[in-house]
Amino acid sequence: MKNKILQLILLWICLALTSIAQEQEQESKPVDKPVRSPFEGGMLIDNQTGVIPVKNTLEMLIQHRFGSMENGISDFFGIYAPGANLRLGLNYSLLDKLMVGYGLTKKNMYSDFQAKYALLQQTRSGRIPVAVTLYGNMAIDGRSEEVFGVNYKFTNRFSYFGQVIVARKFTEWLSIQTQGSFTHYNSIEEQTDHDKIGVGISGRIKFAPQSSFVFQYDHPFSVGGKSESEPNLGFGYEASTSTHIFQIFVSNAQGILPQDNYMFNQNDFMEGELMFGFTITRLWGF
Amino acid sequence: MKNSSKVNLGLIFILSTFLMAFGLPQDQKKGSPWEIPEKYMKMGNPYKDDAGLTKVGKMLFSKHCKSCHGSKGLGDGTKAAQLDTFPGDFTIDAFQKNSDGDLFYKSFIGRDEMPNFEKKITDDEDKWAIINYVRTL
Repeated sequence: MKNKILQLILLWICLALTSIAQEQEQESKPVDKPVRSPFEGGMLIDNQTGVIPVKNTLEMLIQHRFGSMENGISDFFGIYAPGANLRLGLNYSLLDKLMVGYGLTKKNMYSDFQAKYALLQQTRSGRIPVAVTLYGNMAIDGRSEEVFGVNYKFTNRFSYFGQVIVARKFTEWLSIQTQGSFTHYNSIEEQTDHDKIGVGISGRIKFAPQSSFVFQYDHPFSVGGKSESEPNLGFGYEASTSTHIFQIFVSNAQGILPQDNYMFNQNDFMEGELMFGFTITRLWGF
Repeated sequence: MKNSSKVNLGLIFILSTFLMAFGLPQDQKKGSPWEIPEKYMKMGNPYKDDAGLTKVGKMLFSKHCKSCHGSKGLGDGTKAAQLDTFPGDFTIDAFQKNSDGDLFYKSFIGRDEMPNFEKKITDDEDKWAIINYVRTL
């Protein structure tokens, strides 16, 4: 019995010494920090990026899509056309790696609740070569009850969007990310799929300390084969300062909310069904 | 007084007001001496010899500082004219004689119109990168 107790004490001492040694080893290692600003902000045209502002930052977003450019100069390429869409959003960084937010979109009066979590951050040493970010939202369609037809339930208003974003800052001027997503609508018209899978690529080419060219391509895939929606292509210009980020771009999806873009976009980029849009981001640190 | 004289006087008054608006120097005061806490006065720059950081500093300076301090640190940024206090000329000897710790305090802790940047630039290495860049102006 005494031997067993002695063995247990020795084992415990060994484990304690090992953990102390590991701590000391970790302390002596240089800190491998995340790469500096792989993207300027949390949005890249219609897509989320892996960027989450530092803890206790409040982020306000004004996202606007003008009307279609199809009518040319008569409505100044859609800027004065009817049918514009707008989303106002507020996000808050609870942790350096976790952000939550709420937004209200004009189209369908969607109220969306979202969360973004930085699972992995690309490090300067290259030990972690990519950043992996998880993003999800739940939106509530805010239109009147009649829109939802018979057998109405409140949950018919719900739609969900989940996304994995894998990003890499290749150089000071080039950052690319790929995104894979799943969209689900609880209630949808007949002959339409409830779900869509999406893949996409987007990036930033920085040509001056405060200015970048930004682009995106998102491709929806039908689940069930009932309905097709159009890919979303966009490109534009981004300028950033200490507390503001401004993007102006051309794209062919007007939904703003990602699940709406993947599920319902019928604008064909190749047919010139494009629109101007902009996003203004304002940051406040607390 | 004849009507024409009144009109002339009126025109002269409007014209002179207009010219004064452009001609008179704006009353932009010079900042009073800073009170730097001892902790910062004694602070050394751990990245003083890191030449690679200067490029990072230039990028961060453009993003966070240029709008007031100007692209060359002359205090002539696009927002500078709206300030009550002249943002300073970083190229003159009097400025460059500041210790690194003094510059750190002035740049990131701030006072009055000079905002605090501790929550916007959270990494100390980035802060020193800006100081290193300012030293090259």
